[in-house]
Amino acid sequence: MNVVVIGLSHHSSPVELRERFAFAEARIPGALKSLRGSGVADEAVIVSTCNRVELYAATSVEPAKAFAELREFLLRWGETPSSPNQNAKSGIEGLSPHHKGIYALAEPHSLHHLFKVACGLDSMVLGETEILGQLKAAYDLALKHAHTGPRLNKAFQRAFHVAKHVRTHTNIQRGSVSVASVAVELAEKIFSSLGDREVLVIGAGDTSEKTARALLSRGARNIIVANRSLDRAQALAGELGGRAVPFDDWAGEFSKIDIVISSTAAPHHILDRAKLEPLMKTRRQRPLLLIDIAVPRDIDPGVNFLENVYLYNVDDLQGIADDYLKLRQEEIARCEAIIAEKVKPLLEAKAFLPQMGTDGHRFGTLPADA
Amino acid sequence: MLVTWFTDRHFFLLAVAFYGLSTVYSVFLWRIGFRRDDHANYFLLLAAFALHTAAMVKRGFSIAHCPVNNLYEATTFFAWTIVAAYLVIGLLPRLRFLGAFASPVLLAIGVFALMPALDPPHGPQPEFSGALVSLHAATILLAYGAFGLGAVASAMFLMQQHDLKFHKLRAVLSLFPPIQRLEIVAIQLVLAGFILLTVGLAAGRHLPRPADAAYWTDPKVLWSIFLWFVYLALLVLRRLRVPSSRGLAVSFIAAFVFLLLTFWGTNLLSPLHHP
Repeated sequence: MNVVVIGLSHHSSPVELRERFAFAEARIPGALKSLRGSGVADEAVIVSTCNRVELYAATSVEPAKAFAELREFLLRWGETPSSPNQNAKSGIEGLSPHHKGIYALAEPHSLHHLFKVACGLDSMVLGETEILGQLKAAYDLALKHAHTGPRLNKAFQRAFHVAKHVRTHTNIQRGSVSVASVAVELAEKIFSSLGDREVLVIGAGDTSEKTARALLSRGARNIIVANRSLDRAQALAGELGGRAVPFDDWAGEFSKIDIVISSTAAPHHILDRAKLEPLMKTRRQRPLLLIDIAVPRDIDPGVNFLENVYLYNVDDLQGIADDYLKLRQEEIARCEAIIAEKVKPLLEAKAFLPQMGTDGHRFGTLPADA
Repeated sequence: MLVTWFTDRHFFLLAVAFYGLSTVYSVFLWRIGFRRDDHANYFLLLAAFALHTAAMVKRGFSIAHCPVNNLYEATTFFAWTIVAAYLVIGLLPRLRFLGAFASPVLLAIGVFALMPALDPPHGPQPEFSGALVSLHAATILLAYGAFGLGAVASAMFLMQQHDLKFHKLRAVLSLFPPIQRLEIVAIQLVLAGFILLTVGLAAGRHLPRPADAAYWTDPKVLWSIFLWFVYLALLVLRRLRVPSSRGLAVSFIAAFVFLLLTFWGTNLLSPLHHP
């Protein structure tokens, strides 16, 4: 019996196409039942996320035939709107039965692919871990409705195990790849705990809001928002569970706060060395992390030379995020070697051998006449 | 057969070899930006500690006394307290990297202690004896060990703080603990050292001494009292939040370097400690 996968992802298709094939969670059990009822799949799992829609099936049908039927199933599903506005939103040409965005893989590539997806190697943000949770949820749903069997159970469980192994033994999930999460990571390198830290947000921009939320999610205690428009400051403070202060009063908060996120539209520096130096004296040698995500910059770079001050601007944060991404990319080869090693016993396992496809070659995009 | 020729100094020599290995591994850790967990270094220092302990126990049994009776013994005890304290603190994964900073210090002290001149043969009895002498010597050497590890934590703080200040990628990639925690660890170690030094000096005040030996003018006593005031001043200033975190770390390192460079000299100059 061969494990096959057919589907489309952010690598192969634009969102306009992916959204047409997306399976709403409530409809997946029905889809799985229909798929197995068609006789093409003995076992099946449907993975449907914002970046991919994939059907994993264990089938005793010859792979080329199985792919044709599975693709037909997928196309049929794509023509059935799962939400009332689905077709209205898509705005693309009708689905071609020979659409190039759909890929199909048989063993061993299907198993390699499953493992790569579980490890985050096929994700839009390389190494991200959310996909593992989504994969587990998809598998659990199929398992709960008894649409899996020994082949897919073993394949998925091994994929989860490999994902854990890769996470532990490589740097593929190491570090933060967004500005907000890098800011949080820096804060964690300075302060012994984020649990009792106060954060001052100057200027209620989108990135500063994201950064503040990220800090709150890691335990920051209190958020103070200062904005030229007090209404906007109050609205953001309300959303973040903090308090708003008038823009001209933010300097008065400096004795209490530990982290400043600044993103105003001011054309000049709103904080410079002359202004910060006396404020630092009220802080009793406590460190101060300044995150300047405004362009043009809000904070004079010279303040970084003051004792206990750590200043990062948007380029510094983006630079760290990019370096992390490079590091992750350098880890791909190691991860793939681990995957190749872990797939091997699965392919050699007795349960797979008797009914495996004859050549196990990569089928890739289905030919037009398949 | 082994027992007859394999002396405590051989055990100590092996321990120093492990400190050397740990130093080499520390250079490797530094080269890769302290990204890998420091298990290997911890186990190297654990092995060194076992050999070091064996050396001290063997010496202690051979003289039937706590082995702190000459400069070799005092120096090895001093190094032993540093590695013992590290092994306890290093149980916390993030503080395990202290070992990478401690091992070069341990290697240097160990190589110095192996100089034969520091370990003249004992007479039938050690030069000094008595429980109070042991308490005095042991607590003071423990204090030096705590100051040493405090300086090591401060060095780690300075490296991490520099990396954070100048946006080095190593600051976020390394597995170092936050700088605030490193500062707290350094202060606590120095405080522990200060308490031990106080106890050791108080015990030393009540020791019997030769009639012709002056106490208050003895170079080692004066040096120890000076050291006591230096550390007291640093702790009080810290309490008053006068020095910056960086300034405090530099001061802890400077005080320990002064201690290291003058410890042996004052010992040799002291009629009380080197009759």
